[in-house]
Amino acid sequence: MNKFAKYQDQAVPAGLMSRRGFLIGAAGTGFTLAFAGAGLVLADPATAVAQHAFEPTIWYHIDQDGIVTVNIIRAEMGQHVGTALARIVADELEVKWESVRLDYVDTDPKWGLMVTGGSWSVWQSFPYLSQAGAAGRIALIEEGAKLLRVGKDACVARDGMITAGHKSISYGDIVRKGNLTRSYSADQLKAMPLKKPADRRLIGVPTKAIDIPGKTNGTARYGLDAEVAGMVYARPKLPPTRNGCSVTSIDDSAAKGVKGYIKSVALDDPSGTVPGWVVVYADSFTAANHAADKVKVVWATGEAAKVSEKDILDHGAKLIDDPKGGSLVVADEGVEQAFAAAKTTLERSYTTSTVLHFQLEPVNALAFEKDGIWEIHTGNQWQSLILPTLAKALGVGEDKVVLRTYLLGGGFGRRLNGDYSVPAALASKAIGKPVKLVFTRPDDVHFDSPRSASVQRLRMAFGEGGKVLGMEHHATAGWPTQVMIPVFMPKGKNGEPYDPFSISGADHWYTVGAHRVRAISNDLANNTFRPGWLRSVGPGWTNWALESFMDEAAHAAGIDPVAFRLGLLDAQGKNAGTAPNATGGAARMAHVLKRAAEKAGWGGTLPQDTGIGVATTFGQERDMPTWCACVARVKVDRATGVVKLEKLTLVVDAGTLVHPDGALAQTEGAALWGVSMALHEGTEFVNGQVKDSNLNTYTPLRMRDVPELDIEFVQSTEVPVGLGEPGTTVVGPAIGNAIFAAVGARLRHIPIRPADVLLALKGEPAKGV
Amino acid sequence: MLKRIVITVVVLALVGIGGLFALAWRPSLAPIDPPAASAFPQDLVARGKQLAGAGYCATCHTAKGGQVYAGGFGLESGFGTIYSTNITPDPDTGIGRWSEAAFARAMHDGVARDGAHLFPAFPYTHFAKVSDDDVKALYAYFMTRQPVKAVAPPNTLPFPLSIRALQVGWKLLFFDKGVYQAQAGKSEEWNRGAYLAEGLGHCSACHTPRNGLGGERKDALYAGAPIEGWLAPALNASNPAPLPWTQDDLYAYLRSGASVHHGVAAGSMSEVIQGLAKLPDADVRAIAVYFADRNGSAAQAANADQALARAMALAQRDPGVVPEHGAQVYLSACASCHYNGGAAPLPARPELALSSTVNGPDPGSFIHIVLGGIGQNDGMPGAYMPGFGKSLSDEDIAALAAYLRGSRTMQPPWNDVPAAIAGARKQSPAAP
Amino acid sequence: MTTFNLNGRPLTIDAADDTPLLWVIRDLAGMKGTKFGCGIGMCGACTVHLNGRAVRSCITPLAAVADASIITIEGLDPQGQHPLQKAWIETQTPQCGYCQSGQIMQAATLIKDYPNPTDADIDAVMNGNLCRCMAYVRIRKAIKLAAAEMQGAAAHE
Repeated sequence: MNKFAKYQDQAVPAGLMSRRGFLIGAAGTGFTLAFAGAGLVLADPATAVAQHAFEPTIWYHIDQDGIVTVNIIRAEMGQHVGTALARIVADELEVKWESVRLDYVDTDPKWGLMVTGGSWSVWQSFPYLSQAGAAGRIALIEEGAKLLRVGKDACVARDGMITAGHKSISYGDIVRKGNLTRSYSADQLKAMPLKKPADRRLIGVPTKAIDIPGKTNGTARYGLDAEVAGMVYARPKLPPTRNGCSVTSIDDSAAKGVKGYIKSVALDDPSGTVPGWVVVYADSFTAANHAADKVKVVWATGEAAKVSEKDILDHGAKLIDDPKGGSLVVADEGVEQAFAAAKTTLERSYTTSTVLHFQLEPVNALAFEKDGIWEIHTGNQWQSLILPTLAKALGVGEDKVVLRTYLLGGGFGRRLNGDYSVPAALASKAIGKPVKLVFTRPDDVHFDSPRSASVQRLRMAFGEGGKVLGMEHHATAGWPTQVMIPVFMPKGKNGEPYDPFSISGADHWYTVGAHRVRAISNDLANNTFRPGWLRSVGPGWTNWALESFMDEAAHAAGIDPVAFRLGLLDAQGKNAGTAPNATGGAARMAHVLKRAAEKAGWGGTLPQDTGIGVATTFGQERDMPTWCACVARVKVDRATGVVKLEKLTLVVDAGTLVHPDGALAQTEGAALWGVSMALHEGTEFVNGQVKDSNLNTYTPLRMRDVPELDIEFVQSTEVPVGLGEPGTTVVGPAIGNAIFAAVGARLRHIPIRPADVLLALKGEPAKGV
Repeated sequence: MLKRIVITVVVLALVGIGGLFALAWRPSLAPIDPPAASAFPQDLVARGKQLAGAGYCATCHTAKGGQVYAGGFGLESGFGTIYSTNITPDPDTGIGRWSEAAFARAMHDGVARDGAHLFPAFPYTHFAKVSDDDVKALYAYFMTRQPVKAVAPPNTLPFPLSIRALQVGWKLLFFDKGVYQAQAGKSEEWNRGAYLAEGLGHCSACHTPRNGLGGERKDALYAGAPIEGWLAPALNASNPAPLPWTQDDLYAYLRSGASVHHGVAAGSMSEVIQGLAKLPDADVRAIAVYFADRNGSAAQAANADQALARAMALAQRDPGVVPEHGAQVYLSACASCHYNGGAAPLPARPELALSSTVNGPDPGSFIHIVLGGIGQNDGMPGAYMPGFGKSLSDEDIAALAAYLRGSRTMQPPWNDVPAAIAGARKQSPAAP
Repeated sequence: MTTFNLNGRPLTIDAADDTPLLWVIRDLAGMKGTKFGCGIGMCGACTVHLNGRAVRSCITPLAAVADASIITIEGLDPQGQHPLQKAWIETQTPQCGYCQSGQIMQAATLIKDYPNPTDADIDAVMNGNLCRCMAYVRIRKAIKLAAAEMQGAAAHE
């Protein structure tokens, strides 16, 4: 499978996988999952679990009223993942949707790996949640049949009832009266008879997301809303750079006049997450803020304090120049021969700027020790990643730390990196009280793990008639996986480890002859800041380069860009695709491309200085391809270089759509993120820190910037794959290609600024930074 | 304003008109036993209350957070601070021992009971115009207030500026004695408005530029003037507002604190509106009649529709796909409240294209409002704008000013905006 | 000590005058529906109503709201059934939801001013409310839906 599975094997405690294979029948005992905590505001207060409940698997339980509570181990951050996952269970279980509740659970080893990212959730969960639902259905049919005194083959499960002829019994009654204890092996679970797609009653059927009403009336609870009696507030004083700073002195004399100020402490962090940090304690957030502004800290800074965006990009270009560096991710035979034999070749370089997450809820955490257990209350996307770090920071075993679950005020990958919980825990330990650490927006931005700037160089070898003989793609950027979890890095064909998330996308589904993909870590970026996973991660830059380059290649070959791509999407050889995840392979990509071009009126006439451009993406990984094509229509003002994005047309084949409206919402949001990163945001490093710190200068896409959107999904019963990210990566190159179509200006850097368009109109390269 | 007065005093001292000391002498008037509150008819007291409002007496005679009329409010100058006095009827620290004659002399001549010359920070040049009857009513009102024991801090004017006798020279140059005389050929309403505006209202004290000696420039009456970093806009025909300040607009503004066609009262004008609130509608209408005549707005009324259409077109100008920095700030921080669709602005959405502040000749008031906002008890009751002093950098505000000035008005760019921002921040560093 | 009215109830708060209203509402009054986003009045997540109009509570000091009427998302409608709230659910507008209290409060002022808002009205008035999930298409749709419902209701009165 993929790197994820590899990591799971390493991370999951021994015995857990086999334990997952059992149905832990529980009639009459009850198994409480409620995360009770006195005085705490909880993510979902409706988690009271009945004393006598049927809990066929760890994934859900049914109480005596027939209410099904599905345990959600994924972070709810806007994708309505709980709704999608619960519908998978409920469909197989044959219960009414109205009977379903969600429980966003806290960390516990029994859940295995807890991560919400990579657009993986539905795809990963679908098999085992379907099996779990089916297992429950079969058990209920068996017990129902006994109670009804009929043969089980005469029974039908539907809407939370077992019916045989005119007799029927509810699931709640079966839980109350029957003996549901069952145990199945992992193999038995895998062999569970799942419903045929045509028999599905909830999957693929429009519904309303469970998490939405609470988000319209102020009752939804996010990490920021967590409180506990006796807590104090802390505001961090961040060192000038992420890495390499240490505290020289702290002068809090001016802060002592602030009412409510408690003290300032330099954090001692055995985990090395927050070097050079000082926290300022007070009895309110406002007092902590005021005091922190008055506390003077002197730091010793390191090399990072001199680094600028240009240094990072220049360093990247140098790394690519060295043919020996990096990891070979795709290493077909014959690349040199292909280029040697080429009639013509094309080489182009592409760059992208640093991008901030700017999730709207600034990072924050509440931490305290209670009965020997450290409780961390915060929104988080990758609990399994930060737990060991927290344990190390606190000097306790991992079993002594628990993360309490809250809604996330935006994830976008920021909260995959749970580093912000570390200073909260350390601050609590240092003062011996519960501490609520709230980052101001500038703190949040300066502690962000932004999307690294990137440099890429692509080459193509053409034979007769524009036939593609070979291709190279060299990409360098700061690598989040290397910095945060190197164990996650597989080895390339040359034995060198690489960050899969930072090169994914370059290993595309076009048949290009001899193909070479080289991934290079930008060590200057890694040393200067902590690179982060940001919505779509690598494809956010690799696909910008790849799809811009494909357009340039098509023009170089004198072939229409859609026809050129279709010619390469032959679904042959390694691009034929394999079941179950990539059934159909490149043929499905060709389909969405054709459909998008057709919908957008490809080949038609357009007004002056207006153009349409196309791009495709297969989403996040070859192991889980989401087939997506986008056509952008832009109008370019030749005098000012301003690009007006008029319309985006997207066609997506994501297999089965479990929650169709949620799928559409994700694609809308992802596409607009793509627009934002292509045209509206982007920052740069100056003296080792990003130059923007708030919305007065950082300008993400807003209401007035929204283009017309036309999104279509391919109807499919194939494996459901991810949707949170693919739309993000396809928009930038579609816009760049549209600008070229409109006015003949080729852009090779995002974000695209008017000044760069003006330069490109004159045939000059963009200034980049 | 005060700074200029102080300069005047210095100039006078330097030219050494020592003989003025002789002219300066005024007798002390005998102290009285404080009269009982019951000695004043209630209707007289009630009228005095209105008039005290119309003169915004409380504004200067109340310290921040202090008891009303107990004085101690510091008027800052570059050279020192002048503190207002306690005008409650406390016998020891207030005006409890002032006879009506002493009170009237202060109002009409700018001389305290003990014979000392008052600084023209107390606008006796205007109060001189107040009728004897109204002075009587004011006296009745103040003498029936709750006495408060409060001594104002000593002024911090350095010698020789602190010599009150020098004031007599200033008076010779700039002080026209005598109560208001109705102007023939004008309506009774007009004269009523003029009486209130020129007398108690002392409107020109702020709205008329002063000469080098601190006197109001008669050649530029109501031409607008900077005051404490703000701009008191012109009340004559030179006011640059896109729409004329008509009688109805003036009335709406003075009565409610806002004119949908011009903006909302802020800064010290807020206190004027609060003071005028004590006056009956007819008096406020009279003031509006007076100023509408002075500014000649009737002559521009014919073009008002066109001017409105032009301003709304400016307001709705597209800031473009990639807005300049100032436009970005406007679109993210300002438009949610200040945008107006359609052909006319909504009262609750102050239209910046029509704003006298944005159209004004200097950016002072604009900057102050951006930094400090407008309190719900300032101009328009209940209307509130937060200050952006801690939110926006100087660069952001300068860009915003340039954007609005350039896009919303037909006026030339403001000069020295960065310096004005820095100055305003210094002036009120704690702007919330 | 500052007294004001929060969601219809008088409330007296003993806190520094410059304490932002946002934190008074959240931490002292315990109403968590109003959110903290940027702290400079440029994201709109903290939007509440002051005397019936949308304001950014993160830059509104406590002292400024003396005797004012403040309404938060919790007080917009006693049952959470304001036409905007219903429209937000109908259109499935919220994603992460963090900005949505502010969006709804701002939209309430928008449709009060413009009962039939045009796209230009929505663009301008809602532009100050950042939605980082970029649910803008649905916010626009929801506003129009709510406006239509309110127009319909008004027509039937």
